[in-house]
Amino acid sequence: MKLERSDRGPLIAFLLPAIVVMVIFFIIPVIYVVVVSFLKWNGISAPIARGFKNYLLLYKDKAFTRSVINNVIWALVAGFIQVPLAMVMAIILSRKPKGWKFFRTVYFFPQVISGIALATLWRAIYSADTGLLNGLLRAVGLGHLARDWLGTIETAFPAVLIYWVFYIGYYMVIMMADITTIDSSYYEAAVIDGATDFQQAIYITIPLIKNTSLLTCITLASVMGLRQFEQVYMLTNGQPANTTSTIVLYMYKKMQDTNYGVASASAVVLIIVGVIFIVCIRKLFEGRSEQAKQLRALKKARRAVK
Amino acid sequence: MKKTFALLLTLVMVFGLVASMPAYADDEIIINFPSIWVGTDSKAAYMSKMIEDFNAENAGKIKVVVEEQTDYQAYRDKIRTTITTGNAPDLCVLDTTFDIKAYAESGKFMDLTPYLNEGWGENFTDGAFDAWSVDGKVSILPFEAAVFPLVYNVEILKAAGWDHFPATYDEFFQMCKDVKAAGFNAMGQMAGDNAWSSMLWYSLIVEAIGGKDVYADGLDNPAFVEAAKVLKEMYNYTFDGAVSATASDVNGHFIARDTAVYLNGPWWIANLYKDDNAVDGVKLADVCDVATNPVYEGGKGDGKGLVTTVQGFLAAAKQDDPAKEAAVVKFLQYISDPERVSEWALSSGAMFFIKYTPSPETSLISQKFTEISNNASYTILHVNGAFPTAFSTEFPAAVSALVLNQIDEEGFVDQLQTAIELAE
Repeated sequence: MKLERSDRGPLIAFLLPAIVVMVIFFIIPVIYVVVVSFLKWNGISAPIARGFKNYLLLYKDKAFTRSVINNVIWALVAGFIQVPLAMVMAIILSRKPKGWKFFRTVYFFPQVISGIALATLWRAIYSADTGLLNGLLRAVGLGHLARDWLGTIETAFPAVLIYWVFYIGYYMVIMMADITTIDSSYYEAAVIDGATDFQQAIYITIPLIKNTSLLTCITLASVMGLRQFEQVYMLTNGQPANTTSTIVLYMYKKMQDTNYGVASASAVVLIIVGVIFIVCIRKLFEGRSEQAKQLRALKKARRAVK
Repeated sequence: MKKTFALLLTLVMVFGLVASMPAYADDEIIINFPSIWVGTDSKAAYMSKMIEDFNAENAGKIKVVVEEQTDYQAYRDKIRTTITTGNAPDLCVLDTTFDIKAYAESGKFMDLTPYLNEGWGENFTDGAFDAWSVDGKVSILPFEAAVFPLVYNVEILKAAGWDHFPATYDEFFQMCKDVKAAGFNAMGQMAGDNAWSSMLWYSLIVEAIGGKDVYADGLDNPAFVEAAKVLKEMYNYTFDGAVSATASDVNGHFIARDTAVYLNGPWWIANLYKDDNAVDGVKLADVCDVATNPVYEGGKGDGKGLVTTVQGFLAAAKQDDPAKEAAVVKFLQYISDPERVSEWALSSGAMFFIKYTPSPETSLISQKFTEISNNASYTILHVNGAFPTAFSTEFPAAVSALVLNQIDEEGFVDQLQTAIELAE
């Protein structure tokens, strides 16, 4: 659509505040971070330019490599395990089975509790000597499985990740809202055709939310996964042996070391990883959107025939 | 009706907002003091009293406004950020020993030398400023001192067949075996959070092996590798889950009286006397005694060397207004007055770089800390204080990797060395 010359003034007037805010609070800080990533700076003395050395140091630092891997795993788990779990629950609860309001509240409840409080709670659950989990294992005769969940190389990262996967309420509510907007005639037609609940979910619900709320939730969840900090900080502080570290935690530690150059370089890497993730997710869904278009065309055709 | 209600509500809210804003006299000098000596900190109560008294004595002229921050790490982050952005608070507490010189050289803090030379400096212990002055100028005051002798539970040692504290590390590990066999933990270790307890134990072992000059060659001194072996061995005699444990776990076990030896600074002494930590009316302090670092066979430590640190420095931002500068100095002089510091030490158990006469009511444990401090043949900083901040940030990762056999003792020291080099 081509804009009329007379429309440009009001359009610019409406967009300007948002653009100014975006430039001040996002573009300029990002440019600042990029600039600092090429400096050696402790925040007190004068900064010294050091080219790509900070990035080279990141590349050589095993703790950073581990942090990037952990973030990628986290983002993948968020996008492809947590969100699908939320989607399943959203589909089930959208059919309004008995007690659906209760379960919707229960699943959403953790979202109103701070991440710090949840991490503290789970720290107590995982505690090696007084923890609920080990106590439970001992009570049911599985004491040999009791261990220091957060202090063992093999279990620390899964322990940090696994409890968080089940906090699906936020995405579930978004998808439930989307599902309620689907025209009920699709389901009625499917029932007449003899489709089961499962088939209705697979052939109607999922295709119709895929490019709207599902895509939004996967993008949101992946981005949240990439910027994990407080849970890891509270539960393990990245330990043992940096096996649970994340990029943001790594960045925070470098800032503690007053090593702002390396901290900024890790922030730039985080931005790049985030952009790669978002582009990949978009591409993944773009490839499939043709199917959705075809489905919509088919439905339209069926409605027209009826 | 609705409109009237809305108007009333708005008025109430605006009034509430205005009423809640602090009111200061026009010519009153406000000193902003983000303080860590608040909340449950043992120094908090007396600090609060001093501020209250100071404000009352200077009513209408000077007012110290405390911004409470109870979390040490959050406090450090905040102070560092304010200094970096050129908004250093009027007064603050610093504790990152290794960075102090950089802060002093930054020129962002008030030069206190003229005031110290006018007689105020006489209140401080001899040589207190030597290590922290830059070009003969003192802008950051070493204030709270810390020494790290060992506190042990006499009853647990007795139950394990020990009527005295081990004098050597060989004896110490025998005691650890006996204590463990008796159903107790020998000491508290932690690799979680900042690995504070393990860092202190490592410092003691390093001192016992390397002696007073152990830091002269940086981490190249073989004492650091040897000490890593000893530290790893200690994890066999601590409680379950020490790799992920934090300071509250270590403290909790000692308070629960299932751990024989405790290592922390003098600020923790007050907890030994708390009624909350008493069992059947017997205070924890009543079953505790204090010991020095055992001698390491073949080590350079003489058993009288002491691990210390400056737990808190006081720093004041450079002021453009001479009246405000004078007000800040007045407050600093007020809280470093020997009589007040004596009372402060009594109430908190903390130690200071101030020449004061200890109160006759000083607790027995505090007296023993002071005695050990006075009898020390030499002192060294703990490892976190002796190396750049990157060392302390990396220490928990290195300890957990060592204890979980991800790296050997050489790898442990290499990991710490690499972290320091990365930060340079």
